[in-house]
Amino acid sequence: MAVTETPPETVEAASAAATSAPRSQPSGLAAVLGSGDHKTIGRLYVLSSLLLGAGVLVLGLLFGVEAVKPETWDVFSSAHAMQLFTLLRVATVFLLAFPLVIGVALVVVPLQVGAHTVAFPRAAAASYWGWLLGSILLIASYIADGGPFGTSAQGIDLWIAALGLVVVSLLVAAVSLATTVLALRAPGMTLDRTPLYAWSVAVAAVMWLVTLPVMVGFLVLMYVDHRHAGVSLGSSSSLYGALSWIFRNPQIYVVAIPVLGFVGDVVSTSAGTRSKGRGLAHTAIGIFGTVSFGAFLAVPSTHAVESVLMIVLALVAVVPVLAIGALAADSVRRGKIKVNPGLAYALASLVALLLGTVAGAAGTIPGVLEVPEGALASDSIFFLGVTHAVVMAAVIAAVGGVTWWATKIGRRQAATGPALLAPAILLIGTVVMVIPDLVSGIVGDGIETAADPTGGIAGLNAAALVGVAIAGLGLLVAAVSLLPLLKRSEDDLDADPWGNGQTLEWLTASPPSAGNFDAELAVVTSAEPLFDLREEK
Amino acid sequence: MAADAALALPPAAPPTRPRVLLVGTALAAGAIVMAFTGLIGAYLAERASVLAQGGTWLPEGSSIPLTPGNIAMATMLLSAITMWWAVDAVGRNDRPYAYLALGLTMLFGFAVINAVSFLYTQMELPVSSVAGLFIYTITGAHIAFLVGAMAYAAVMTFRTLGGEYHGRDREGLVAAAMFWYANIAVFTVIWYAIFVTK
Repeated sequence: MAVTETPPETVEAASAAATSAPRSQPSGLAAVLGSGDHKTIGRLYVLSSLLLGAGVLVLGLLFGVEAVKPETWDVFSSAHAMQLFTLLRVATVFLLAFPLVIGVALVVVPLQVGAHTVAFPRAAAASYWGWLLGSILLIASYIADGGPFGTSAQGIDLWIAALGLVVVSLLVAAVSLATTVLALRAPGMTLDRTPLYAWSVAVAAVMWLVTLPVMVGFLVLMYVDHRHAGVSLGSSSSLYGALSWIFRNPQIYVVAIPVLGFVGDVVSTSAGTRSKGRGLAHTAIGIFGTVSFGAFLAVPSTHAVESVLMIVLALVAVVPVLAIGALAADSVRRGKIKVNPGLAYALASLVALLLGTVAGAAGTIPGVLEVPEGALASDSIFFLGVTHAVVMAAVIAAVGGVTWWATKIGRRQAATGPALLAPAILLIGTVVMVIPDLVSGIVGDGIETAADPTGGIAGLNAAALVGVAIAGLGLLVAAVSLLPLLKRSEDDLDADPWGNGQTLEWLTASPPSAGNFDAELAVVTSAEPLFDLREEK
Repeated sequence: MAADAALALPPAAPPTRPRVLLVGTALAAGAIVMAFTGLIGAYLAERASVLAQGGTWLPEGSSIPLTPGNIAMATMLLSAITMWWAVDAVGRNDRPYAYLALGLTMLFGFAVINAVSFLYTQMELPVSSVAGLFIYTITGAHIAFLVGAMAYAAVMTFRTLGGEYHGRDREGLVAAAMFWYANIAVFTVIWYAIFVTK
């Protein structure tokens, strides 16, 4: 026996004692609060982010109303407008988009790669509770008159700490997700056989891990500065500016990377055909992830937006989106398409992402935007439109994911009628919301800045308000379509409700059991193992 | 049904143990390194901006003596050797040397914290200056990273001594070593960018 090994009899005795002891299984609330099951954690993320998203939507509508007649300050006082505007932008990204995407991924990715659990399940659970606590504290910091442009010193400290907790928690979830794809795949599932959605989540998680820590570092710097020095980033008015790179392209693309994987998987499954260009799709998703690296903008540079690097990154970002679109079109051409809600969501999210990336590329070309003397092109309201398009693409794809994998995430299929309608409404809302900001940025004659809640041409702001309202209606219809997921089904649900499932999540029961797969899986021999099984039969 | 057909197929060969902890640690260490990359990048940009305007980076009366920083750097390099020694000793199932190497690594970790703390007392650098803000934030964050790496190494030491890791499976200790090396890499950049070039 090796000298560092424990004698086997010791291990056996300890194991026997542990297994023979009576253990009561937690149930009800205790089962949820103490759960390390990736499905439960994912569901909690989805539910919580959608609830917080409703608040984000209301705040967005109020700002839309304000921006129609900004000089009258009908809704907010001029003293608090900027403060709440930062809440809107921070909450949209960190309380809605990121956690919603992570929630769907936490449920689906382990199932797709044939894992019995997510990697580091307790860390994943801690990430949810940490994120929830951070989100509550973040909102509390605004109530305490903290946050950027706030006047309460303790409130500002709380804002910095709470945002740090939110981001670190999301990063912990990213470690779990990336490790699941990299280390817990089923036997035979090489990386090139990894389902597109799981691959896109892995790429996204890695990009979050190489960019968002830069933000955490800056938050630490801000905290120290605000408490002790007040000489650099820690002043109330400079907090938001130091983090604005997070909310614009190319960095904002990181939240939408899973859109490409979702589209790829849903379209090939709906068409009932194997994806011919799987290698190309993997490469496209990887390139999109790479060009979304925006952390270099964290250190301010007056000419960053005009730099060649920015232009190249923005232009290249369009190519992978087009490539995924072309591969999807090829799948439709070769297969026999079955229209379903997942497909509608996939197309809507792809169009929204294409709008965002094309606009992002156009905005970086010198001379396209009307920039007042002394202002930076990167501050143009044009890029607010780009951000909205990209974030909406991520949200549409995530809600689409809940619909597509409804029997894995919830207890029933989503209601088909509203689920088919919702993506169309969401896409119309996104376009009507985004185009006015883009036009304001191009033809604006004032300081049409993204960091100004009243920026934009007033008439176009009215159109944007209509867009926000339509998008809100779309989310409401989507929520109605998802209500059946909460109700237990009396009938046995089909493991593969679409009948064309290709990847391993459609092999397991609906809803999946605690260990995901009740037996050891056979060796995966292709990227579409369920397709192989049907062909063998 | 697809599920029945799949279960009817012959079971897979026993897979090699997935190196979950190692992959997760590599990702976490990469994320922490990126946080420091951002901080040090901001430090260098701020310093270059001050110097370009003809100013001096350190406030009058402040200085960064080189000796404590050099001692800390040398100690970190020594800890790299002892950590490698620990991993090697566990690989050879050499328990006494594994104890010794891990104990020395922890000791070196404490010595670095001591050296940097001593440096703080020598610098006479107010935190309310721009230079002080950046230097204390970056080096303080590194000490927090070091404490985390020491805690990780300690946990993996106890697990190794408890028999969880041995010659054929030393994933936990290799993961802790990788985290430690990331810490040394970050300190090397801090040592050069802050302590040497000032």
